[in-house]
Amino acid sequence: MDQGYINARVRGMYRSLLSPDELRALLLRPDLDTLVAELRKTSYQREIETACIRGSGITCLEAALRSHLVRTCRKILRMFGDDRAARYVRLFLNRWDVHNLKAILRGKNIHSPANEIQECLVPAGTLDEATLQELVNQPDVRDVINLLATWRIDYARAFTPHIEEWSRSRELLVMEHALDQYYFDYARIAVQGKSEEAVVLRRLVGTEIDVTNLKTVITFIRDGVRIEDGIHFLLDGGGALPKKVLEGMIQDGTLPVALKRLERTPYAFLMHRCEETPTCGPHSNLIKELDRYLVRQGASLYRSNPLSVTVVIGFLYFFLAEVTNLRIIARCRDAGLSDEELEAELIHV
Amino acid sequence: MTAEPVRPTRMELIRKREQIRLAEQGRDLLREKMDALVQEFFRVMNDVSASREELERSARIADRSLLIAQAVDDPVALKSASFVTKRRILLDIDTRSIMGVPIPVIEKKSLALTVLERGYSIIGTSGRVDEVAEKFEAEVDLIIALAETETTLRRIGHEILMTRRRVNALEQVMIPDLYRETKYIKITIEEREREDLFRLKKVKRMLDRRKKQSRITTRGTT
Repeated sequence: MDQGYINARVRGMYRSLLSPDELRALLLRPDLDTLVAELRKTSYQREIETACIRGSGITCLEAALRSHLVRTCRKILRMFGDDRAARYVRLFLNRWDVHNLKAILRGKNIHSPANEIQECLVPAGTLDEATLQELVNQPDVRDVINLLATWRIDYARAFTPHIEEWSRSRELLVMEHALDQYYFDYARIAVQGKSEEAVVLRRLVGTEIDVTNLKTVITFIRDGVRIEDGIHFLLDGGGALPKKVLEGMIQDGTLPVALKRLERTPYAFLMHRCEETPTCGPHSNLIKELDRYLVRQGASLYRSNPLSVTVVIGFLYFFLAEVTNLRIIARCRDAGLSDEELEAELIHV
Repeated sequence: MTAEPVRPTRMELIRKREQIRLAEQGRDLLREKMDALVQEFFRVMNDVSASREELERSARIADRSLLIAQAVDDPVALKSASFVTKRRILLDIDTRSIMGVPIPVIEKKSLALTVLERGYSIIGTSGRVDEVAEKFEAEVDLIIALAETETTLRRIGHEILMTRRRVNALEQVMIPDLYRETKYIKITIEEREREDLFRLKKVKRMLDRRKKQSRITTRGTT
């Protein structure tokens, strides 16, 4: 399909996102009921009405947000055929496949009932609801992987070399790590090329790998994980942070020292953030900063070449930030958190 | 009023006096034990209230981090991560004795895990989920420590109650009963002695009278 036409449709969808004023108006809602009532006037109306038939309160609103996310992602996927642009969009949506596959394997590993596993799934990725349902219906982890292989779903490649190791230990860590590694390797391969889109997306994938590696390093430093144990959890292909820098950071041992290595990188903001408090504060604050940085980088693609698929990917970042913000507002209002605390958690794109 | 009839004998009197001595000694010992237990009770109670406050504080922090993780990462991500976490907690429990009261001692082994031990892949799991896990692990540690001190407190409290009952039983029932019985035996023995004396005097008088009569009759015949 013509990329210009798709982008025009996506711009239409962008216009239906909540404006900063509308979001501010939602922030002023005193409770969950008025928030839901306000959201009924937006593009979330259909999902909210459906979800409110089944339940009420925060779970109803969250289910509605999830359904809206799934519907929007599927709508975008349907716009594309099977060309290079479609592959780029799938790259973004693959994260839900990874989430769903992990949820299924984890559930199957402890023999959770199918309905419990089903509750954890967000079929917004390339694996549709029917496929996921069939995977959930499999009796155990091995059968799930066998079915993936039978259907020639690429993710099976990540799992099959590790089946024997899993059967010995019954620990999923190896499988999960292999899946994450596969996700990022696939992304790196998919964005190779000399086209403008490939270059822009390669930069974005590089940033995502950097952010993921930095989050891993911060967690390792906090938990005192040794370099020998943690080195194979670092991903290759980072944009601005080679593995050597990251290894050095782990060896530094403390966050204030380690973050100084980021001085001449795009992640210097972490170092400045850390300088505000002697111990760098809770590590979740640094992780929050990194998440926000990635969302801002991703969302900036919306304003890049108007005829490129990057507009769609930029929109997806905006959309995901909006869904997250709505969930934050709903949860924090429901728990009675103050406006300042709520504001601190929001993602401003 | 005694339930069993008391044999008013000297042997019994000696036995009762011995019982009184023993009961009074026991009462004093139990009082000392109670004092020691009360001291220990207040010491443990201070620990319990401090631990409770710490647990409440820790629970508030853990709940808050859970709320933030649910808000930002979606509850389904947390539920999915919860499938991987290890659900069994193994504890080594030993006992020690405070004034004969068995007190549980739980081996102080932290349940806090590193990110590599939690079972899920660090790459795909949000740091907020890690933080939730960490906070709740700390809370479980506190709950286990509190379980130990609270059980200690409950057991000491129960033992104080039992000891107080025993002291009361000795003081209000057993020792007064024994004194009453001793008094009864003493009175009965004294009464019997008086009766015996009176009887002996009477016999003596009778014997004297008979002796006198027989002397008169022998004098008349001669």
